[in-house]
Amino acid sequence: MQIQPAMPRSWRPETKPHKFCPGCGHGIVLKALGEAIDELEIQDRVVFGCDIGCSLLSWDFFNVDTVQTHHGRTTPVMVGMKRANPELIVVAYMGDGGGYAIGTQHLVNAATRNDRITVILVNNTQYGMTGGQMAPTTLPGQKTETTPFGRDPELTGYPIQGPEMVASITRDGAYVARGTVARPRQLKEFIKRALQNQMAGRGFSFVEALSTCPTNWRTNAEDTWKFIEKEMTRYFKVGEVKVPPELARGKGEREDG
Amino acid sequence: MGEYASGKSENAVNRALDLVRAGRRVTLVDLDVVEPFFTLRPIKRELEARGLQVVARERHTLGLGETGVPLPAEAKWALRREGDVILDVGYGAYGAQTLNLVEGADRHPDLQVLAVINVARPMTATVEDVVAHVRELGRVDGLINNTHLGEETTVELVQEGARLVTAAARLLGLPVVATSVVKELAPLLGERDVMGNPVRALERFMPRAFW
Amino acid sequence: MPTKPKPVEGEKKVFMTGNEVVAWAAAAAGAECMYGYPITPQNEIMHYWTRLAPKFGLIFLQTEDELSAGFTMLGGVLAGRKSFTATAGPGNTLMQEPLSMAEMMRLPAVVVIQQRGGPSTGQVVYSQQEVTLTSLGGNGEGLRVVYSTSSHQDLYDYTIKAFNTAWRYRFPTFLLGDGYQGKMREPVVMYDPEVRGVELVPAEPYVGRPGTPGVDRPPAHLRNAYSIEEELYEAVMELVREYEKVAPEIVEHEAFGVDGARVVAVAHGVVFRAVKGVVRELRQQGVPVGYFRPITLRPFPADALRRVAATGVRLLVVESAYGQLARLVKEALSGLPAEVHGLYKPGVLVGQGEIATRIKTLVQGG
Repeated sequence: MQIQPAMPRSWRPETKPHKFCPGCGHGIVLKALGEAIDELEIQDRVVFGCDIGCSLLSWDFFNVDTVQTHHGRTTPVMVGMKRANPELIVVAYMGDGGGYAIGTQHLVNAATRNDRITVILVNNTQYGMTGGQMAPTTLPGQKTETTPFGRDPELTGYPIQGPEMVASITRDGAYVARGTVARPRQLKEFIKRALQNQMAGRGFSFVEALSTCPTNWRTNAEDTWKFIEKEMTRYFKVGEVKVPPELARGKGEREDG
Repeated sequence: MGEYASGKSENAVNRALDLVRAGRRVTLVDLDVVEPFFTLRPIKRELEARGLQVVARERHTLGLGETGVPLPAEAKWALRREGDVILDVGYGAYGAQTLNLVEGADRHPDLQVLAVINVARPMTATVEDVVAHVRELGRVDGLINNTHLGEETTVELVQEGARLVTAAARLLGLPVVATSVVKELAPLLGERDVMGNPVRALERFMPRAFW
Repeated sequence: MPTKPKPVEGEKKVFMTGNEVVAWAAAAAGAECMYGYPITPQNEIMHYWTRLAPKFGLIFLQTEDELSAGFTMLGGVLAGRKSFTATAGPGNTLMQEPLSMAEMMRLPAVVVIQQRGGPSTGQVVYSQQEVTLTSLGGNGEGLRVVYSTSSHQDLYDYTIKAFNTAWRYRFPTFLLGDGYQGKMREPVVMYDPEVRGVELVPAEPYVGRPGTPGVDRPPAHLRNAYSIEEELYEAVMELVREYEKVAPEIVEHEAFGVDGARVVAVAHGVVFRAVKGVVRELRQQGVPVGYFRPITLRPFPADALRRVAATGVRLLVVESAYGQLARLVKEALSGLPAEVHGLYKPGVLVGQGEIATRIKTLVQGG
């Protein structure tokens, strides 16, 4: 007898197995999102928007209404949708290139306006789909196709501190966290709280998820986990960065290890 | 002051020229910083030839119309000029506040603030709309009925405007200073409109201020 | 739920600028969302929309740029609300990205373009240099509808029509005006479309319909990316077939005096007003001249123009651009031995005197 791993109800079985590479973290982030949707019982109200890059492979991932947009433009599409119909619970799903490079102005302004949307940004330190180029999140010294000798911070700066930036430009009511696929239960909790925050109409909700990309990192399983758990966390601190007081008082399992 | 396309500039120009003809020294100031390009500038030379002093930006000003257009320094100090000063204030509630940019506008004893009303404009089409609009403008000392439909203006329309504007003025406790109408129609109205307000004939300049 | 008040009741003649006309007409057409970014000469569309908003329950967001204005508009459309934006010049350049998505996904976006001078920042006043960009912009096949207006009444009528065309055919639809039309003041009859028997095509949501996706109904999975060449080819050809099928229902033009004419002047937009005046006057004087005005620049009224050109007339294209309309004309006349002459004045209005002189020269064979 074959044992299938449990799938969130909101996943679309017809499109599984999914299209991500072996060892890719996207599947874990999307599982956390699927479980959060299930637990909140919002499958009929969620609209999932996905960006270009590897995140676009999620365009038929869920049994929820889904729109695949352009590179960096998922945030404004979901902002326009939410303002046109506030009953919807909208999720903008993107990579670090989409959120922190080509779409930064949208992220910054949606956060500043406190738009009632949930953004989930997957940080795997480089551009996966285009073949492993440097991203705003690439670590110092990290080799990519456009930094073949390693990222030199003197020339191209240090990794962007996304959640910290979003936290600093939002007011009360925003929820900001950084999770990691190395701690899936915590990541699910962050995503769930980000959705709850939107449902309560409090404000902008943002979760960065540290994620793996063995294909472009050229790492085996052991080195992949070493990179996400040891290397990435040197620059990207995992945890909640900003929690609205009402949400902090409410329940919500906290898990730190 | 008044609504966009209510006829502010037309009235300002005509009033200024009337005063010039009466032998007075008159300065006309364009205070529209939102869309100055389309107001007095194109007819500036012609007005100056008629003896009017005009403060408005000249043609080759970089950045015209695009973003926060700079106010000319002469405009800020316009009320210090000798003689009569007529300020053509920008449109809408926010435009009316350009008056704050003029030094002394808040305390000049002779300053009169007139709101130009065209009831053929949808936002000032009813008595209630006119009252709400004028209240939004801030300080207003009187109304001018400038109801028109461009080339298609009729006497009946102007009189209807006079009725509505006068009704609004009563609710606001303000006088109707005049009904202004193109000089071709003015004789048909006579000295006073149907509500007894004085009729002022307008020579049209603004079509030439545009293309 | 109380019904919202109608922005325009009955019908009424009013005196307005073109940009205001667009705001009122969009509201009268049942538009509910405007997302926009400031750029001259379209700003008063936003100014007046925001003034109408509280009274009629309209939605507005000033976005961070035109990319965002375009994409938030698509979000509004996806949610099932009639949504639009307005822009010009460099903003129109950025707007091509979201409109390309609208084209691929058949999203009924409505965009008002008030043309200004270019290239680059150019000038903020007037031009007809956004014909090529608006008609054929984006990294695709130009599967959009472009209405070129020439009066305030056109702005009112065609704003309403643009929403209907967009939602009926599900192709993005542009209203192509210019800075002069936006700022000009003239009388216009505003009317409740219903009073005129104009039925408003209702909007429908693409996402968030009733029921749980995958349980009560299939999920809406909307995309614009395809894996391989053949897959995209099929998708694009389906779009093209659909566009070509509906194009004859959409295409519009206006012509006068073309029978027996030796010269036919071709113009659109505000330049057409000048051409119309000249041609009608010359006709009265017995000069064999007519005019042809494409109202839709996309789809272009090619068949109608070919019929005119087939009679052996000389065509004079008059425009405030360096041959952008002429390029559409020449493409439409491909294969015909028609003479196409041009009077091109990029970024400035073409005077009636120079139009008349050129027409007379061409009539005399010069």
